[in-house]
Amino acid sequence: MDKNDQLIAGFAALAITIHLLESAFPSPVPGIKPGLANLVTLYVLIRYGWSLAVNVTLIRVIAGSLLLGSFLSPTFAMSLAGALASLGALWLAWSCPGKPFGPIGLSIIAAMAHITAQVVTAYLLFIPHASLFTLLPIFLTAALISGTLGGILVHKILERTHNLVST
Amino acid sequence: MNPFALSSLFTTADKFIFLLSLVLIGFSYVYLWQSSPANYAIIKSPQQEALFVDLSHAGTHQVQGDLGISRLEVKNGQIRFTESACRNKLCIQSGWHQHGGSIVACLPNRVSVQLSSQDATANFDAIIF
Repeated sequence: MDKNDQLIAGFAALAITIHLLESAFPSPVPGIKPGLANLVTLYVLIRYGWSLAVNVTLIRVIAGSLLLGSFLSPTFAMSLAGALASLGALWLAWSCPGKPFGPIGLSIIAAMAHITAQVVTAYLLFIPHASLFTLLPIFLTAALISGTLGGILVHKILERTHNLVST
Repeated sequence: MNPFALSSLFTTADKFIFLLSLVLIGFSYVYLWQSSPANYAIIKSPQQEALFVDLSHAGTHQVQGDLGISRLEVKNGQIRFTESACRNKLCIQSGWHQHGGSIVACLPNRVSVQLSSQDATANFDAIIF
């Protein structure tokens, strides 16, 4: 078990816990949730790089769905689609020369990609009706708000923990 | 550990992304929430088979409902109830309808009119698991 594996395991466990706790809260609008587990992805990305973030995210999606009993269900398909899209968008943003984006920008980009991919997946697999996209503006607005707040949170957490190293 | 993230909370690129998102969301509301005018209407009643009405041909249609006959008029791509056997005549008072996707009905008479555009892609509205 090398150092990276330990980090991945630890952060994945954290993300899974956050995911499980968040699933206990009802959401005001079906399909909108704060997505706090994604903040772990963002933290790992900024601090340890993209490939660790991918590992942490995919483990969280799969293990979280196994624990909640939604593995290979439509929920899982949409969760995975959102995670993959947000990871792809984060890779693009993180590869920009000079790394111009801070946590807020990255969070917004990831949130927008996430929710768009989920709506497109829902359209392609479950509800092939064009009026599904009338929900997209509402979801995009929620994604912008939660992305901004999440980015601020990650920045604050990074400020306090950036010099903490796991033993 | 990347020191870039700690320098400022809201970098210039972040502000750009935020504004770009606002613009994008604004456009999405405008583009996705406008409803196209309807080409045809489906008039349904439990008493008879569904009637497909082309809204480009003006005319009147008669539908048998639970309480009696409802009459609908089509003109200029719009449709409305002109007579109905219900008591409150709310269906008539709702006036002309032309937007795709809207549904108007005479509930006491159990007559419903759904307006659609020809390019509706699905045969079903939703699938429930």
